[in-house]
Amino acid sequence: MTLLTGHGFWNPLLWLAAAAGVTLLALVVWSRGRRDYTRGTDGELPFLSGEKMEGAHVGGGHLYWGFVEGLRPYVERLRALHSGLVNDYVGWLVVILAVVFLIVLVGG
Amino acid sequence: MNLTAHAPILAVAVPLLGAFALPLWAKLHTSLRDLWLVLVAGVTGALTVLVAVQVYTVGIQVYTLGAAWPLDTLAPGGFPIRIILTVDALSAFLGLITVLVAVVGFSYAWRYLNEDEGKTLALTLGTLLWAGMLGMAFTGDLFNLFVFFEVTSIAACGLVGYRTWASRGPEAAFKTMVMYTVGGLFVLLAIALLYGEYGALNLAYLARQISGSVVDRIALGLLLGGLLMKAGAVPLHMWAPDAYGEAPAQAVILLVANTQISLYALFRVLFTLYGGVADPAIGWLVVSLGTLTLLVAALMAVVQMDLGRLVAFGAVSQIGYMLLGVGVGLTVIAARPAYGLVAIQGGIFHMLNDAVAIGLLFLAVGAVEKAAGNRNLANLGGLGHDLTWTTGFFLLGSLALAGIPPLNGFASKLMIYQSSFLLSPILSALAILASILLLAVFVKAFQGAFLGPRLRKAEPVPVSMLVAMGVLALGVLALGLFPELVVRHLVAPAADALWKGRDLYLQAVLGR
Repeated sequence: MTLLTGHGFWNPLLWLAAAAGVTLLALVVWSRGRRDYTRGTDGELPFLSGEKMEGAHVGGGHLYWGFVEGLRPYVERLRALHSGLVNDYVGWLVVILAVVFLIVLVGG
Repeated sequence: MNLTAHAPILAVAVPLLGAFALPLWAKLHTSLRDLWLVLVAGVTGALTVLVAVQVYTVGIQVYTLGAAWPLDTLAPGGFPIRIILTVDALSAFLGLITVLVAVVGFSYAWRYLNEDEGKTLALTLGTLLWAGMLGMAFTGDLFNLFVFFEVTSIAACGLVGYRTWASRGPEAAFKTMVMYTVGGLFVLLAIALLYGEYGALNLAYLARQISGSVVDRIALGLLLGGLLMKAGAVPLHMWAPDAYGEAPAQAVILLVANTQISLYALFRVLFTLYGGVADPAIGWLVVSLGTLTLLVAALMAVVQMDLGRLVAFGAVSQIGYMLLGVGVGLTVIAARPAYGLVAIQGGIFHMLNDAVAIGLLFLAVGAVEKAAGNRNLANLGGLGHDLTWTTGFFLLGSLALAGIPPLNGFASKLMIYQSSFLLSPILSALAILASILLLAVFVKAFQGAFLGPRLRKAEPVPVSMLVAMGVLALGVLALGLFPELVVRHLVAPAADALWKGRDLYLQAVLGR
């Protein structure tokens, strides 16, 4: 059942056993929490940066906003290469072919 | 008739002829067409499994067309002049992947496609694509590799663009067709050069003759260019998100398998055809393109708002992992065979894991589009209230693709991370970074589309579509929980066929 992966090994059943142990521990911690919690109060409302409107949805474009913005300078350069023009697609094929020839003929 | 002996050619011929007969049955009645498709898919699947069982238990299967007996590979004079199919463990492994993908795809298409939206055409082209993929996997000569390369190209472009009432599909098909044609011409030119030099097209014969001359190297460069393009390696991948994004879901999983078959052809060229003269520089080229592919595609996925294109970039990213694994193997196997084999096993295992996980995601996206009439993350939300099963399937596929244990993507990625670490720790770090990016991408997509309050009522997903997704979901779990069994019985023989099995492949066709 153990898969050798080069430097180490992987056994999903062992991992599941460990995960079950961690879950059990989490449940024990959770069970020792406060018992005076009441359902249906404001405590159940999602906190969306001060947004109090009920039923508000954090759309796909908002999640990981900072993460995406941080990557945007890099991604925008890549996006510019994805021009949608088939001429550019073929151009890249020619460029890669030149690199491949360089490696195969000179480097190889 | 000895069915076992003829199974390799029948596995290709049945879907090929079955595809052309499909529209004729549809003219009589659509139920007859569906019955015919079930028959063709069932027989093709059974034949491919039969071939695989023979390969894994007995050894390499060869089939000579036009000979008195299928095993008569050599004409008088000791020259392999006829068309010869040569199926080793890697070919059989890819054949099994196509069976899984095709059967699931057709089951899904039953309710997914509407009759008045070209269902017969889609099923015909899908069956033709399956035949082409099996042909590419099973062929033992270069010219037929090109023929089936073209069969898959034509069928794939048809599947991307047959919905002519929408403008984007035909546009994506046109771009894909241009790229496939240019790439196909490179492959054809390479074959012409090798034929001019050695007067033969048989892969095993050429493998024994190739000496590493300048012409051989030019042919290798052309083959690499054409096959890397069709596999979707960055920066030759740009047709792939267009095609995956516009083709209907049941066709996309066939297109994903098609890129894997192109990778198979690439590996066959590098290890079997040029195995005697390949050098580490070519391995480094494959490693570099693989790393670039997994990273660039993951970065591009981050900013996608169309669920289909987002998953499409995820699919391109996975091609990078396969290239990285096998590229590392190619680079280090001569010096460190044990690590090289683990790397190759990781790359090959990831083919199966990718077909299952990304297939599940594309089918889930198709279900979302059918149920909500929309794929834009800005307009989706709360689908989990109505599409409970689809939500679970999308989550499972996302986690598997991002390599979260204990799902199937983790095991193959771990093999790739650890073996590429030997070549350079930077490679492992970049591969892990791409997985983290993909996790963020799919968490974003999952939250955006499925969680939150219900924005509008979604239509229920037909049961047959859920069953098709359920089969792939079970695959994700089974491959994740029992990776060692799969690697030992299916993947390791396929990896051995590439490296240790090269001489056996040559001997199966040419004798000693």
